[in-house]
Order: sequence, then structure tokens, then C-alpha cells
Amino acid sequence: MKKSCSAISSLLEKYFDREVTDVERSHVEAHLLDCQACRDVLKSMGKLRDLVKTPVEEAVQKEDFPWVWQKIERGIRLEEKPPFWENLRSWLQISPLFQRRVWIPAVAAAAILLAVILPLLTQKIPSHPSPSVVEYVESQTHNVMVYELEKTKVTVIWLFEEPEKETPSS
Amino acid sequence: MRRTFLLFLLFTLCFISTSPALAQVQVRLRVIGASNEGQSIDPSLKDIYKELGSLFSFTSYRLFRDENLTLSPNQPVSISSRRGRLIEVTLTGLHRDIAELRIKVVREEKEILNTQVRLSPGRTVLIGGGPRQREGIIIYALSASF
Repeated sequence: MKKSCSAISSLLEKYFDREVTDVERSHVEAHLLDCQACRDVLKSMGKLRDLVKTPVEEAVQKEDFPWVWQKIERGIRLEEKPPFWENLRSWLQISPLFQRRVWIPAVAAAAILLAVILPLLTQKIPSHPSPSVVEYVESQTHNVMVYELEKTKVTVIWLFEEPEKETPSS
Repeated sequence: MRRTFLLFLLFTLCFISTSPALAQVQVRLRVIGASNEGQSIDPSLKDIYKELGSLFSFTSYRLFRDENLTLSPNQPVSISSRRGRLIEVTLTGLHRDIAELRIKVVREEKEILNTQVRLSPGRTVLIGGGPRQREGIIIYALSASF
């Protein structure tokens, strides 16, 4: 190493890290042309960097840092939830159905239908104009009696045997 | 096009949900043997025993058959009971809380009863009488649920 090497050595690291000024760089490069020792020092710096850098880069490429993502996702989840109306609005914007604004006539139609059907369903219309349970009754072989007990909601249809016809005496 | 389809779907659903024509009716038919032999009351007749006791003077009521009939409009359902009797029940109409039933009772191929009744939930129709057999008669008890 030449005498000026001691002066260059402080710059050599900065030169290696590309932190020198243009003037310093030209000064170092002029020195390196004549100084084999400093060139060796620079080369050894490069080797040392490669020695450290390569395994670190390989390790970084292999590692996908799941814990980092977990932490980020947890952080996102912990963020304050947007208000309901904001959620609804964003959903409506996303939904292609509502983008077309079909819901306006659909809701209107549903409201009209409800307005028409609801009174029909709720009003107490007598189911049949006649309160009688038995509409008609007939029997070819018997007499029939019908009586209804409204209190117990029981209707009885009773068949009576016809009185036996008197057989002509011989 | 999609709007028309949605409206059509809405109307169809409303029509289906309010249409009684597509509904079915469950009718419970019990065939009871009433007589004056003994004093036994079938436990499964507890719900109508009070009515039977107040209407008739029999001392014994036995349950011969207990059927739950699912009636569809105009499709008769027949149940044969003892002593060559057959009862045929047909749903002829259905209003909001009234089922119209045509009931035929046939004995030895002879129609001994033909009637049309309106049955509502909670109401019971009792059909009885006819020829006595061994001091007993058959009573049909019909009740609907829908």
C-alpha cells in the first residue's frame, strides 16, 4: 500500500457504497489505477458483501412472512367498521340488479300488491252467506234428520229406518 | 326484459300464495261403533265423547277406524268400514276456512246417504243411524283441519 493509501482508505468504503462525490470518485479511481493493494481491498469488500448478501437474499425469497400478513390483516380487521348505510350503499352500487334501478318499479309493484291484498286477507268476510253446514242431504233408503248444535259445533245427520211395511194378511 | 320478468315472478308468487284452489284439506274420519252392550268408551274418543253422550243414549262407543284423509279437489277418497259399508268423501270446494265435502255412504251397493256439507276447522259432522246390527250402529265423525 502506498503512502496515499491511508488517505484513500477512508474514501474507499464510501466509494464501495457509492456515497462519494464526483470529485472523490475521480480521486479514488485515479488512485486505484496505480495501486494494486487498494484494488485488492476493494475486491475483498465485494467478496464480503456477496458472502453476506447471497444467503440473506435466498432466505428472504424463501420466506413469505406469513406472520407479517397476519398482523396486517388483524390490523385491518381491527379498524373501525363502516356504518350500515355505507355498507348498504356500497352493496347497492356493486349489485348489477340495483345498478339498473329495477328495484324502483319492483318495490312499487310490491307495495301496490300489498295494499290490495292485505285488506282482503285481514278483513273478516263471512266465508259463506249461509250459516247452514248441510247444503243438501238425500237418502234412497232412509228418512234423514239433520240437527246442528252451534254451541259445541257439532252437526248430526241421522238416518232413520223406515217403518216396516205391514205385510198383507193371507 | 328483466324488469318484466321480475314483475311477472312477483305476480305469480302472490297468486300462488293466495290461491286456495291448489290447497289440500286434511279430514279426520273416525268410524265409531255405538251400542248398548257394555259400558266401554274408547280412550281415543275422549274429545267427542261429551258430544256423543249428550246426543245419543248408547252406553258403549268403540273406535273401529281412525283415518286422516288428504283431500284434493274433486278426487273422491273411499274408506270401507264394517258390515259392508263404504264411505266416499270428495272435496268439492274450498273457501278461506270452509271445505265443501260431498259424502256418500253406500251399503251393499245401495246408496243410503248422499249429502254435501260445509266443514270448518273445529266443527264435527256426525253421520249415524241406519240399520241396526246386533243392537249397535255405525257413526262416522268427520272433522277438518287446514
